[in-house]
Order: sequence, then structure tokens, then C-alpha cells
Amino acid sequence: MAQMSTSKLLTRLRVTNPTTMWGVFALLALLPLVIHNDYYLNILTLCLIYAALASTWNLMVGYAGILSFGHQAFYGLGAYFSAIITIHLGVSPWLGLPLGGLFAAFFSLAIGIPCLRLRIAPYIAIATLAFSEILLVVCKNWVSLTRGEMGLSGIPPLTGFRLGEFLTVNFGGGSKVPNYYVMLSIYILAMLAMYRLMNSKVGLALKSLREDQDAAASLGVDVTRYKLIAFLVSSFFAGVTGAFYAHYLSILAPDSVFSVGEMVEVVAITLVGGIGTFLGPTLGAFTLIVGLELLRGLEDYRFMIYGAMLVIVVLLLPNGLLLGFHNGINRIRGLFQSGKTT
Amino acid sequence: MFTLPIMIEQAVNGLVLGSMYALVATGLTLIWGTMKMLNFAHGEFYMLGGFATYFGLMVLGMPPWLVVPIAVFLIFLIAFIMEKSIISPLMGKPGWDISTVVATLGAGIFLQNFAFKFWGGDFLNVPYMFDGVLRIWGMAFAWHRLYILALSLVVIITFWQVVKRTRFGLALRATAQDNEAAILMGIPFRRIYTITFGLSASLAALAGSALAPIFSVNPWMGMVPLIKALIVVILGGLGSFTGAILGGFILGLCESYSVLFLSSGWKDLISFSLLIIILVIKPSGLFGAKEW
Repeated sequence: MAQMSTSKLLTRLRVTNPTTMWGVFALLALLPLVIHNDYYLNILTLCLIYAALASTWNLMVGYAGILSFGHQAFYGLGAYFSAIITIHLGVSPWLGLPLGGLFAAFFSLAIGIPCLRLRIAPYIAIATLAFSEILLVVCKNWVSLTRGEMGLSGIPPLTGFRLGEFLTVNFGGGSKVPNYYVMLSIYILAMLAMYRLMNSKVGLALKSLREDQDAAASLGVDVTRYKLIAFLVSSFFAGVTGAFYAHYLSILAPDSVFSVGEMVEVVAITLVGGIGTFLGPTLGAFTLIVGLELLRGLEDYRFMIYGAMLVIVVLLLPNGLLLGFHNGINRIRGLFQSGKTT
Repeated sequence: MFTLPIMIEQAVNGLVLGSMYALVATGLTLIWGTMKMLNFAHGEFYMLGGFATYFGLMVLGMPPWLVVPIAVFLIFLIAFIMEKSIISPLMGKPGWDISTVVATLGAGIFLQNFAFKFWGGDFLNVPYMFDGVLRIWGMAFAWHRLYILALSLVVIITFWQVVKRTRFGLALRATAQDNEAAILMGIPFRRIYTITFGLSASLAALAGSALAPIFSVNPWMGMVPLIKALIVVILGGLGSFTGAILGGFILGLCESYSVLFLSSGWKDLISFSLLIIILVIKPSGLFGAKEW
């Protein structure tokens, strides 16, 4: 097999074959059987949180072509909504997860409808960023509801349950494994939803939008409708992820969810992994979050090196790790094949 | 509360703040206009300008008239090297519009944490470069604020003239208008990119240097001006010079008047709400830049 051109490979990586996808899910599901250390499990749960955030952001940016810089808004809305209704109204955290998602999705309409009128990418980026900064200001100043900068504490963990006669699953305290599996389920549900979306009429429409919005519109593709679908799905799962985060940590401050820093992290993860590829953001999340932890020993130099690494990765692999990975495999395969024929 | 002297004082404060927004935003719009990229490390040049001023004035004890040009020139050099080493290799390659975002984000994170590691996270205070207060009709204006206003007006006008009248300005405008045609005319567009990037960084550094006595110097000081400048360039229409400058003044005035009736916590709502209102009413920005 000859070297595949970059653009061709990128197009192929936009969709994934079910085998690879389920393989990745299985691998992630097996991890806690090998890794028992609570600290590592915590990092892996964080990886999944960012994998879900980056993948849903990728749906908006990499597939629908909406350069949103306000993804942290949905994450934070889900987190705060679920935290507040469980604390004040005594709603079950399990119900808080989907409700947080729905709340975020509802708000995404308010953000989406004005933003979708904009055509130039940076305009959309800044407008969505402005929306999420407004939410940050409101969240910091509406002290009676959110306790402002002091943050919410004592958010109830997911309620435990009994499995059969002897096994009790507990989410509070230091129990990492059950939380890991909950986050994995959220991640898998988000990925499956996006997979279904990609392989439906919507996926085709989104693809045409990204290639050429005007041509798509002239052929009768309802541009606004499909973009809103991408917005809704993406923000729903970002909201659910946020809600999980709130119940997982049991404390919540405005800057830990609504800050621009979170968005920068998601952008870096997606772009390093490979934007517009199905599994790229997941690869990026695990690489960057684990990488950042490995750098912990370097103390103050940690973020300096992190920044430098981002630059180096992008200089060496401008289209992301996933593409670089596939190119590498193809090259090795090519070596073996040329070895056989000669 | 809303007496005339207070209104005039707030107007001057707004113009001072606005002139700084205009300088930072002009740099952003300049890069967007010629290179079609957004520079997410732009705020860090502002931060470096602040630190260079701090070191010049406080550590080396140099006089202000020497510190400011040296600081600006140093940042120009840093930006020059940065463009050559990490932006230029990405330009024109597939996916450059995205890869330059990561590269500038990474460079920004690097610079912030470099400053944090070596210069510390404390808020450093820099004295006013010009002491004293001007008093007219019962109003008081700090000389330093008037200096900022005068400085930025001079810089903006000079810059305008350079872009309008010099050969470099002609090459810059040609590259901005149509990159390929400019290359065909023999314009060394790579060099134009590098110089543009350097100039844009110098404008941010100048703003950081001038504002260092008003807001203190620290590694994260670049975040707010970057976001404000992004708002300004969108307000004024991306790629439009007039837009960046007038947008800067409009935002500065709105913010300084908002202090009169909003508590400081809610003050930040002004700029973001203003942006969204403008975008809903007029999606191309106030001065409707061409669709670049």
C-alpha cells in the first residue's frame, strides 16, 4: 500500500470503523482491572472527562464547522444546575446528570441562535466566548444561589446501590472505580450518539456544511437546523459531563468550570489529538492529561514544558497525533511490503 | 453623582483605557489582516512589555524615556524570533489555520509560566513615569494618564502614516488584500509576515509598558487585555484599522462610565454584552470590515 495522502487519510479518520471504536471502549473498560491505585484512577477519570468534553467540542468545530470558544459554558451550566438542584431541592444526583445536560442544551439554543447568524469563524469564536464569560460573571456575583467565589461545597455524590446480595456500590468518599465506570458510560454514550449522528443524514449534511456552506445551502441543506442539532447534542453531553464532575469532586467554584483555561485545555487536547477525526480528541485527552501528570515531578517547570511541548507537537505533526500515528503505521507497513517484493 | 466634572474625569479615564485597548487591538487586527491568523500569545507580549518596564525602572534604575523604547524593541526581537521559529514553518502547510492556533496557545502558556518561574507570581508595582496631577476647574488628571493618552495618539497616527505612505505599508496592504497577487508582484511576503508579527507585538508591549504603573505587573496580566482586544476587533470589524481604534475608545468609555452605576463585580458584563448586542444588530461589526 502506497503512502496515503494527508487529506485522504484525514477524510478517512473522520469516521471510525465500529471495531476500532468498540476496541477503544473495551480497553478503557478493562483499565481498572489492571490499575488499582486511586491516584491513577483519578487521573484516568479526568482523562475521560476531558475526552468527553473534547469529543463533543470536536463535533461542533471539527464536523459542523462552528468555531465555538464557549464550550466551558455548557460544562459549567451542567455542573452548577445539577449541584444546585441536588443540594437545594434534594433531587437524586442520578437525575441531576441528565437534567444538567438538558439545562445546558436548553441554554445552547440561546447561545446558538444568535451565533449561527455569524459567518466568519473568529466572530463566532469571540461571541461564544463572550457568552461564557457573561455566565462566569453572573456565577461569581449571584452569591445567594451559587455562593460566588466561595464555591459550592458538600455536593452529594452519586447515590450508592446494592448489586445482588452482597455487593454494595458506593460513590462517596474515596471510591474511584464506580465513578470511573459512570464517567466511562457517559463518554461511551456521547461517542455512540455522535457515531449514530455521523452515520445518518445529519452526518452527511454536516459534512457538506464543512466543505462548503453556500453550496450546501443552495442544494437545500437546512444549514441552521443541522448546526443547531450539532449544538444541542454537543452541549447536552458537555452538560452531563459537568454534572458528573460536580458530584465527583463534591465541590465547585466558578473558575474551575467556566474559566477560559478550561477552554484552552479542550482546544489543545482536540488539536493535538487531531481535529475532525473521530477518536483524535480521546487520544489527545489521554496524551495531554497523563503527560501533564508525568511532568508533575518538574514542579515549576511543568507548565513551561507543557507549553513548549504543544508547540513542538504542532511543528512536527501539524494535523494531530492520530494522523501521525496512522502515517507511522502505514510507513512501517510500507517497509514490510517493499521488503517482501524485493 | 453625575456632575459635569465627574463625567469629564470619567471620559478622560475611558479614553486612557480605550487608547490602550486600541493599541492591543490594532496589533491583533494587523496580524489578522495580513496573516489571517489569530495570535493567542498576544497578551503575553503585553505582559513582557510590563515586565521589561518593571526591570528597567525598578531593578536597573534607568530613566523612563530610555526604558520604554528599549522594552518595546526587546519585545519586537522576541516576537521576530518567535515568528521565524514557530509560525513561519507552519504557514502555508495544510491545516495551518488550526496549527497556528495551537502554536500560539502553546507559546502563550510557555511565556506565562516562564515569567512565573523566573520572575515570580507577585503583583509588582511600578511608579508613575510622570508624577503629579493636573488640576483644572476642580478636576484632577494624573499626568501619567495624560502621557498614556498622548503617547497612544502619537503611535496610532504614526502607524497610520506608515501604513498609508511608506513602501513597507504598501507591501503590507497588498499582502493583506491579496496574498497571491502580492507574491506575484515580488513582495517578500515571508518577511512582511515576520515584521508584521514583530510590529504587532511591539504595540502590545507598548501598552503593557504604559499601563504597568496603573495595573500592577504579574505573569497573568495579559489575559484581560487579550480578551478585551478580541472584543474590540470584533466590535470594530475584524481586519479594520479604524474599527480597532474607534472600537477601543468606545469600549474604554463604556467601561469607565459603567463604574458610575455598576459594582465592580458586574462591570465585566458591559464589554461582553456590548459585543453580543452589536453582533446581533450588525453581524459584521460596527465598521463592517470586508469579509476577509
